[in-house]
Parts: sequence; structure tokens; C-alpha cells
Amino acid sequence: MRLRLIMITFLGLSTLFAQTPTAAEIIDRVTSIMSPENTYSKGSQTIITSSGKERVFEFESWSSGKGESSLTRYTKPAAIRGQAFLMLNNADDIWSYFPRTKRVRKLASHAKKQKMQGSDFTYEDMGGGDVFQTKFKATILAEETRDGELTWKIELMGIPEEEPPYPKIVLWARQSDYYPIALDYYDENGFNSKSLVMSNIQMVEDYPSAMMMVMTDNKERSSTTMRTLEITYNWEPPKGFFSERNLKK
Amino acid sequence: MKSWGIILFLPLMLWAQPEFFGYFESEADLMQLGTVNYNFGYNKFRLDVEARPNDNVLIGANVNIQKYWGKTSWNIYDFLPGYANSGLVQNIELQDTIMVDNVYMRLTFPWLDMTLGRQQISPGVGYAWNPTDIFNSRSLLDPSYEQTGIAAIRSVVPLGNRSSFEMVMIPADNFENATKQFWLNGGFGRFDFSLTTAQQQWQSLHAFTYGYGEEDERWLHGGSLVGEILGWGVWTEFGVNNIVYSSFYELYSSSSIIAYEPPIDSFNEYVFGLDHTFDNSVYVLGEYLHNEYGKAKADELIIYDYLYSLSGKSHSLMQDYGFLYLMHPTFDLVSLSALAIANFNDNSGTFAPQLDWNIFDDTNISLQGSLFWGEEDTEFGLQDWGLRLRLRSDF
Repeated sequence: MRLRLIMITFLGLSTLFAQTPTAAEIIDRVTSIMSPENTYSKGSQTIITSSGKERVFEFESWSSGKGESSLTRYTKPAAIRGQAFLMLNNADDIWSYFPRTKRVRKLASHAKKQKMQGSDFTYEDMGGGDVFQTKFKATILAEETRDGELTWKIELMGIPEEEPPYPKIVLWARQSDYYPIALDYYDENGFNSKSLVMSNIQMVEDYPSAMMMVMTDNKERSSTTMRTLEITYNWEPPKGFFSERNLKK
Repeated sequence: MKSWGIILFLPLMLWAQPEFFGYFESEADLMQLGTVNYNFGYNKFRLDVEARPNDNVLIGANVNIQKYWGKTSWNIYDFLPGYANSGLVQNIELQDTIMVDNVYMRLTFPWLDMTLGRQQISPGVGYAWNPTDIFNSRSLLDPSYEQTGIAAIRSVVPLGNRSSFEMVMIPADNFENATKQFWLNGGFGRFDFSLTTAQQQWQSLHAFTYGYGEEDERWLHGGSLVGEILGWGVWTEFGVNNIVYSSFYELYSSSSIIAYEPPIDSFNEYVFGLDHTFDNSVYVLGEYLHNEYGKAKADELIIYDYLYSLSGKSHSLMQDYGFLYLMHPTFDLVSLSALAIANFNDNSGTFAPQLDWNIFDDTNISLQGSLFWGEEDTEFGLQDWGLRLRLRSDF
């Protein structure tokens, strides 16, 4: 009887510990689940400006190496049809292609903070990879229920020498599968400058995938909704796909 | 464009379920020169069609229909500072046009991309000037405007994700006379580079005034480097040029019918540029050009310098220029920008503020003003001010 009690206590404690991973472990899992090896998707991007005007864009996007390399090509509207962006090394290197001039231009790192086609997403926001793991230090702030989901609220403090994209990010990851459902981005003044909410999360080829992401700029009071129209992770990049040559096609 | 091209391409395109797109653009300009002002503009319709019969073939073409209005006959001497009000007349008539601008086929193999036909070719990394571009001339007030097509064969051999070997040839009556340019492109770290060499038959002095077909031979060796330093985008592009003059020139100049200055047989041209976007979203771009094919002093200018500059044979009239561009997305769907161009040799220049408004989806209005400074007999000082309204709708 005593032995049984000890075993139950031990199992209970170990289960408890297993359910409370460290912040770094959570971020490892978040990164893993957010970064499939390869992705191909079609999406739309609806920008609602601060005065309520709406602009809709459509694009195709390819990524590989868990988001280390990506290529995005706009298909609509007509004015920017064919404009494309190649990002390598987790968006450290960006090239843009402008079909009107038929020129490829290498963008300097300051361009990473520019809005993509006037949206509330920057180039840097679109870059995948291990940014959360390498450029931030994670701390669990709380366990919270958000949008009906039990989550870990994680604070990510930027490591200055790693040049993080934001000084601080607060992230809510679902405890059920580690998928992040919301992120708050803070500026250097501690102001929550942007918020990202992910919804309509569906299982696609064993990966939870948000079919809708809404980024709100809390300063300019504008928002951008990204909708996934088509997505697959069973896509293999042909040799040389993430190259300037392919950017121009 | 010869009709055989259309006969060849049209059935192929229809078979390959083509995509149609393009734009309508209308422009109205007002220009003040001394006591005279001119009104002019155009309406332009561009229809593009692209078809992909399979993954390895792209066929593209576009037709431009452009109709001018207002002043369409221009005496080029009115725009040459040393010759304005000289009584000399050399009129250029702007003709309404319907033209097939680009028509090409691109074949893609794992080891080669080959594009045949009239196609847009825009080499170089400079924004306002490209010393390695031997194909195009551009308006400094609108450097990013599309270039017209060039009938050429273009091949790109990939050597890696960031490196390639590229060749363009503009066929002529024989291989020797064909324009040829080669590039070796590559990258290291945060930098991309290219090395280039080109051979071109260059329109001779005489061709401008007397229409002779004699051509000089130009050799260009150059390159470019683009990357970043301390968070600023930086680039440079340079060309070392050598000219082998035609025998006709020697004969002509020795006859002393017209006294020419001795032509230069080599010149260097280079651009340095940098850009940055600040945290407040202000984008700034600056470029400096040094072009030894232009003149260092205003009193050295002769009529050919103006003609070379106007025709695009030379990238500039004089030697040293600065270009500055500032842009800020100030309001919803409205950006304010301004560019300034300075000729450091004759101390003239222009300042052009601009407003761009994305008024509807795919529809933009831009209004650009231009204010000129400098003495009356300088490159930019000749004009007083200008205004340009442009409406463009893409489909």
C-alpha cells in the first residue's frame, strides 16, 4: 500500500514535470512546429489602412530549410504582378525583383524592417527559421486561457548582440500542440507596437497551420489579414530554386 | 518588328492559353522656358501577353499604342544652352505610334536560360546612372520607367545559387559588328558583384549630323558591387571604355571641313550610391556619377556633347553629377517624395517634389513639379519650371 502510494506520487510528480517544460523547450517546440522543412502556399493579403481603405494582394510563396530560404511572388493586383522577393539566411539577405524594370536589387538589412507592399508585415516578419531560439531569451510568464485554449505566455527578450528584429515579443503557445496563437511585438519604448493573431488552425499533413493571420499595427491603427488559400508541405525545391535566376521567372 | 515574328508567335500563344495584362497611362506636362511655356502630353495603352506552353517555354509580347497631344514638334536647339535662340532649327516630330515593343521566347533548361527576340535588358546596379548599360538611356526625372525592347539573344548559364555567366548579343550584318556583352555575376557574404566586358559599334560623330553609317568601335570593361556597410545599402558600378575610331573619321577630320576637337580614345565612368530607410520610414537614396565622356567645363561643350547626351550615347552632358531621392509614405496610400539632380560642373540642377496617390486598386495618380536652378546657359538653368501629372491604371 505504501509502495503504491510512493509510485502514484512519483508518477504524479513526473507527469507534472513533463507538463511544465522550460521556456526554452517550449520555444524549441514552437520553432519546430512553425518551421516545416519545405512549404508551398498561395495566399491573400488584405490591408486595411487607418482610414479604412482596403487593398487586396495575392501571392505564391515557397520556403525550404525550415524557413531559412523563401521566395514570394505577387500575382495580384495587376500593378505589382510579378514582383518577387528572395530571402536567404533567415531574411538576412533579401533580393527583390521588379518586373517593370526587369531588375533584381539586393536590399540592405535596413529594408528588412520595411513593410511588405505597404502591409503591416515586414520582410523580417515573413522570414522563418530559428530566430526565436537564437536571438531571444525566453521566460514563461504565465499559463493563460486565450480564445478558449490553454496556453503558455512566453516573454522573449531580444539579445542585443544578436540584433533581434524586436526588443521584446510576448507569445502565447497552445499547450495542446505548442502552436502559437498570438504574438505581441514591443518597440524600444516598451510599447506594444504590433499584434499578431492566428486563427482557423487546421492540421495539414501533420502540421497545425493557421489559415488566417491578422497583424494589427497598434500605432497606425491599420491591419493586414493573411489568408492561406492553398498549402502543402510535400514540396521539394528543385535544385537552384532559391536563386536570383528563379526570382526573375 | 517584322511580321514573321507575329505570324510565328501568335498561334503559339493562343495554343498556350495566354495571360493578358497591361496598363493605360495618361500624362500632361507643362514646361516654362524663359517667356515661353509649352503644353504637351500623351495617352499610352500597353497590352502585354504571356503564354507558357510548358514549364520550359515562356512566350511574351507587348504592344504599345501612344498618341501625343499638345506640342509635338520640338526644335532641339531650343534645349541646347549654347544654341538657344541661335536661329538654328533641327525639328524632332513626336509621331503617334503603334508598335510591338517586346516579343520574345525564353527557353529554360537546367543549365541554361535563353531568351530570343525583342526584350527589355537593364543591366547595372545604379539607380539613376548605369555605366555598364550600353543599351538604354533613361530620364533622370523618372529613372525607374520601363525601357524599350532590344532585339537580342540573351543566355544565362547558372554557376550556382548566387553566380552565373550571362551573354547578350544584338545581331548585326556580321558577327564582328554585332554588339556583345558578357557578365560574370557572383556573391560573397552581404555583397553581390559582377564583372562585364562588351564590344559595341558606336554611332560615329558624322552619323548624328550627316547620317553616315560609319561607326566607331567601343570596348567596355567594368563591373559592379552592391551590398551593405553599417546598415546602409551601398553600391558602385564602373566602366573603363576604349574607342577605336573609324577610318572615315580620320579622313573627314583631316579634310578640315569642320574643325573637330581631337576625340578621346578612352574614358572612365563610375557611380557610387547608397540608400537607407530610417525608423520613421523615410527612405533616402543618393548617387554620384563621374563620366569622363562628358565635359568638365561648360566652355568646352560643343554641339556633339549635347547630341550625345540627348540621344543617350553618353550617360551625361558633363562629368560630375549628384542625385538625391527622398520618399516617405506620409498618408494612407499617399507617398511624398522629392528628387534633386545637381550638375557639379556648371552648378545647375533641378529639384522635383512628387506626390503619389494610390487612389483606387491598380490606379495611381502622380503629380511632379520641377524647379530648375543655374545660369541661363547651363544644362538645367535653361528651363525655369515644369509640372507633370500622370494617371496610370493597370489591369
